[in-house]
Amino acid sequence: MSGFRDGALVALKAKIAALEAGGRRDCAALSLGDPRLDGCFPHAAGLPLGQWHEIGGEGMEVETAAAPAAFAALLAAPLALRGEAVWILRRDDLFAPGLVGLGFPAERLIQVCARDEADALAVAEDALATLGVCAVFVEAEAVDLTAGRRLQLACEKRGATGFVIHRRPFGGAGAKAATGSAAATRWRIAPAASQPGPGEFGLGPPRWTATLERCRGGRLGAWLFEGTAAYSCEGHHGTHPLRLVADLGDRQLAPSTPLRRAG
Amino acid sequence: MRAPAPPEGEPPPPLALIEKARGVRRLAAVDVTARRLGLRVGQKATDAMALVPDLITAEAEPEADAAALDALVDWCVRFSPAVAADRPDGLMLDISGVSHLWGGEAQLMADFRARLLANGLPFRLALADTPGAAWALAHHGADGVIAPPGGQGELIAPLPPAALRLEPATADQIARLGLTRIGQLMELPRAPLAKRFGAPALERLDQALGRGREALSFRRPPSPWIARLAFAEPISTPDDLARVSQDVAALLCARLEREGKGARRFEIAFHRLDGKAMTLAIGLALAGRDPTRIAKLFQPRLETLDPGFGIEVVTLVADRVETTSARQVRLDSLAETAVEDGLAPLIDRLTNRLGEGRVWKSGPRESHVPEQSSAPGPALKAGTAQAWDPERPRPLRLFRRPELVDSVMAPVPDDPPVQFRWRNRLIRVRRAEGPERIAEEWWAGPIEATRTTHVRDYYRVEDEAGTRFWLFRAGLYETGVPAQWWLHGLFG
Repeated sequence: MSGFRDGALVALKAKIAALEAGGRRDCAALSLGDPRLDGCFPHAAGLPLGQWHEIGGEGMEVETAAAPAAFAALLAAPLALRGEAVWILRRDDLFAPGLVGLGFPAERLIQVCARDEADALAVAEDALATLGVCAVFVEAEAVDLTAGRRLQLACEKRGATGFVIHRRPFGGAGAKAATGSAAATRWRIAPAASQPGPGEFGLGPPRWTATLERCRGGRLGAWLFEGTAAYSCEGHHGTHPLRLVADLGDRQLAPSTPLRRAG
Repeated sequence: MRAPAPPEGEPPPPLALIEKARGVRRLAAVDVTARRLGLRVGQKATDAMALVPDLITAEAEPEADAAALDALVDWCVRFSPAVAADRPDGLMLDISGVSHLWGGEAQLMADFRARLLANGLPFRLALADTPGAAWALAHHGADGVIAPPGGQGELIAPLPPAALRLEPATADQIARLGLTRIGQLMELPRAPLAKRFGAPALERLDQALGRGREALSFRRPPSPWIARLAFAEPISTPDDLARVSQDVAALLCARLEREGKGARRFEIAFHRLDGKAMTLAIGLALAGRDPTRIAKLFQPRLETLDPGFGIEVVTLVADRVETTSARQVRLDSLAETAVEDGLAPLIDRLTNRLGEGRVWKSGPRESHVPEQSSAPGPALKAGTAQAWDPERPRPLRLFRRPELVDSVMAPVPDDPPVQFRWRNRLIRVRRAEGPERIAEEWWAGPIEATRTTHVRDYYRVEDEAGTRFWLFRAGLYETGVPAQWWLHGLFG
């Protein structure tokens, strides 16, 4: 009896997983190189690919979006080795040598300057559905449900992964907050004080506090990351360029602003 | 083109071309020797043969003459891009703004003369402000006249009225009235002149003197890659336009395919009933000849066209035609992605939708100045080797213009700031490194223009929250002069 129930449960779970994956059997994922991290995501496999992720900042970063962009670039750096990456901007201020310095292969990056938000999202959708494109970064203010669903469908077409970097235009009015979202994960990135090695002067490798605010089919968390490959000639072969420094656990999960309903 | 090449030694036998007009064979052109013997254009061929028994005659070929003139016009593009044929035997060059390339109008004319002589062509040259005056001087004035600016009036005054390019009947009437010089016409009151000889005569006079406008139809270098479709009934709906753009693209692309070519730029022109043409152009990242793809790139912009009363003809011109090999589709490499499949069409779509210069791939440029060390390149270029030094930290966001920061507290002479104010935020620096001194590229300009105030000392600083900034101090430290600090970028 119990064997039958277990079997039915497994079958049901598989059915739900297939539905969630949009009919694709193979749920590709990008391992972040640390089991503590990968365990938070569905199937404990790492960052789900073929879906799109929201990455936002706080305070000044809402307008400049430097830390979210750096984090997204490093998160997707292993993807950019598999195919072309497309970065869609509203303001042409992304500096390729800076990306190279962080450890992102800028020679695989096609930059697109869109005229407005709708244009940016349309270009993102087009690029995601294109053969040969592995990662698409789009700087947008907010993605509503319809646009999010369209991005998701485009992602599923070829298995490309989208990264929406929330960025308000300079001097823009109050932030339009996205109400619901079709994104697989939502991150909040803040820069963190760097820690130079013992006996070293100046700044250490860049660090970020990343809060996973929403993760479909996974757990939430907050971590301190360090860009290991930044500003050094030493390559990072095989390992993910983001290194987990510390698990910030629950204390970062209660920020001053109440969290949106997650999950 | 009807006048004399210098005779050399033995004069050649007289030659005349003959054409048949209203059943009578008449001379259409005579050479120098024949003219010297008293023959003239328009004479009956039989009379001429009687006068000069050893006259050599040949049939006139107006079509061949026209083709030769076209070839000459195309050749003249080397002197000026604006060349117009003045049929049957002349051509006009608009040399505004090009004569300085030869060092002046006289030098340009000398070069032109030398090259025409080298080709063995008889000719007469004249240069004036207006096409009318130039025509008059070339046909009736001295060879090689250059009219000074505004001075064509005096030069054409002694010429006969026929030099105004008048209708033969008008010219005859003027001659009958005893007016033998243009100067006499210029002195007459305008209203009676127009009344007696017609408005066209007055218009010609005004054109020659620069008082009236004249349009020349300049010839463009022809593109052999053109396809054309004409419709029995004018079309106007966007659906029809999309369909005919696909049809005309299929026509042209079939030709391109036959010859193994592809083009990187296509220009479609819809010719309306009222004679206006509306053009759209698209560019491709890789030379292509797929009619469906080309038509699709035109499609989003077809709705912006105003078809007016209808479109009767559509033409498609291919530009930047290159040889492309046909692609072989391999069955065994289905998983492998070719650039033609995905990326090239994507880049074409984006470039044509957003405009040129909005899709790019950054490449390194040899420069120490940060904002010049990265240059946009073609988006479809294969990845270049990394030329940026990863050990020199560069910001992720580089502001197009550095932003001035104020309330800077920085120990002198060359320490990083302790705190500064940017965008109304007071930022306290926790860690800093630098300076990295970047000087002006003195070798790029005159050495006198190089200033020590153009030196920038860059610092990478981190505030208490961990935000990393890229600041620089402009100029060298001087006691008593407050330093100016600028924020140039943000590290993520």
